[in-house]
Amino acid sequence: MSSDPDKLVAKADKLTKLTLTRWSADWRNATLNYEQAANAYRVAKKYEKAKDAFEKASKGQEMLTSPWDAAKHMESAAALAKELGNWNDVADLYRRASELYVECGRAQPASDALGKAARAVEDHLPDVAVQLYTDACSLLEEDDKDQMAFDLYRALTAVHIKLEKYTDAAAALLRLGLAADKCNASNSQFKAYLSAIIVYLYANDVKAAEKCYNDCSQIPAFLGSDQGRCGSRLISAYSEGNVEEIKRVAQSSTITHLDHAIIKLGRKLPTGEVTAVKAGTEEGEGLDEDDLT
Amino acid sequence: MSVIDILTRVDAICNKYDKYDVEKQKNLNVSGDDAFARGYAAIDAEIEAALEKAELASKEKSKASTVALNAELRRTKAKLLDEVPKLQRLAIKKIKGLSTEDLAARNDLVLALPDRIQAIPDGAAAAAKQPGGWGPSASHTEIKFDSDGRFDDEYFQESEQSNQFRQEYETRKRRQDQGLEMISEGLDTLKNMAHDMNEELDRQVPLADEIDSKVDKAASDLKNTNVRLKHTVTQLRSSRNFCIDIVLLIIILGIAAYLYNVLKK
Repeated sequence: MSSDPDKLVAKADKLTKLTLTRWSADWRNATLNYEQAANAYRVAKKYEKAKDAFEKASKGQEMLTSPWDAAKHMESAAALAKELGNWNDVADLYRRASELYVECGRAQPASDALGKAARAVEDHLPDVAVQLYTDACSLLEEDDKDQMAFDLYRALTAVHIKLEKYTDAAAALLRLGLAADKCNASNSQFKAYLSAIIVYLYANDVKAAEKCYNDCSQIPAFLGSDQGRCGSRLISAYSEGNVEEIKRVAQSSTITHLDHAIIKLGRKLPTGEVTAVKAGTEEGEGLDEDDLT
Repeated sequence: MSVIDILTRVDAICNKYDKYDVEKQKNLNVSGDDAFARGYAAIDAEIEAALEKAELASKEKSKASTVALNAELRRTKAKLLDEVPKLQRLAIKKIKGLSTEDLAARNDLVLALPDRIQAIPDGAAAAAKQPGGWGPSASHTEIKFDSDGRFDDEYFQESEQSNQFRQEYETRKRRQDQGLEMISEGLDTLKNMAHDMNEELDRQVPLADEIDSKVDKAASDLKNTNVRLKHTVTQLRSSRNFCIDIVLLIIILGIAAYLYNVLKK
């Protein structure tokens, strides 16, 4: 076999084309040629050609009914596309690879592929990244492998925070909490809840933060935990309008153990006006008294 | 007659003529008939004994014996205080031959008893100034200082030494608090890390189980393959087959040589 990749590709193409003399394509040899060519291109740093060769090799493996190898080739193709900077291509190729992995019945590598895709495109196509992360998480949850989903949820939250979509970020954190609950990872669960409360407060939505805290307090362990107490201190500090207290709680060590993105948000608290909530309720009572006449 | 004999005789004569001792009889009679009087006399005697012990304790040099004596005193005081209510009940009872004035007097006597008991000094008032931090207990109204509130005495004045001591105490306490805070933060971090490690290990457990089963399968496959390989190789290279091969080779060579000879001719 000549080691010239172009010749290899040409040969392989000939093997796969159906002509009068050839009634069935010889995929085995063709795939072999494609793989060799792709490796040669990669070494020669001809990424475009390498990517094409990998794609063709993957198709060959599919024809040989070996989805595992096909998926592996797809992933290599996608990695090369990342080098090239074709973000859409990257997303598509990784999706294909993930589907092939699912065909093999292996959910873990499938979600890994989607995760790699999301990480690659999150800077350039954040919405696509969000979609990819969500799909990866649902893949794992279907397969009862929630533990692995934690990292993906955390990355998803970071993307949302970068996009300044705080409600989405908080929702992602609450889903993290749910996944943690299923595997009895109480520490991660409580940290997720506290992070959600902080995200709500950063978005200046005190009511939502309070509601979130009350919901999470339904779990008795959360109330008595470090994170729960920290959350209650924050909420009470907000309702009293005590800026000093908020700052002090934000410096506490419990917050320091959360994710980096959340720590940054916490240090920036309080945002906006921190007026005591009591002022609002007093006005309401005055009106009621008048109405009762 | 020796002195001892004289003493014995005197004692015998006294005993004989005791019933003519008016004073003694009165005392005996009174205490014999009356439960109240008896009880009162007993408590009185105990109070006297306790006061004597208190005197002794205040003169004691060694701290340990002072403490022990003070403890005794406190116990006695508590016991006496318990008996006072009993006596009170007895005091109200009317005894024949007792005037109303006497009854009232008895009541007063009984009421005065608790005060007398409490007044027995038992070293509880020794620390006139307690170092700060004992706020709530200082307001206990039943604790009485035996100095009757005379705090202007030289004994109780703040000396420079005690001021310095108090300041040093406060600085040390502050430093301790700082150190403890640092330790607490470190412990917090440790706790967090330990929790995370716990969760990580939990995550790894099912993976390890999978690896275990896969490796077991691979090992058994390998063993199988090895056995078959051995079988094949022995079949191929057994010495019997080798000898047969050599013999056949020799026969073929022989035939070839024979043919060669025949053709050469």
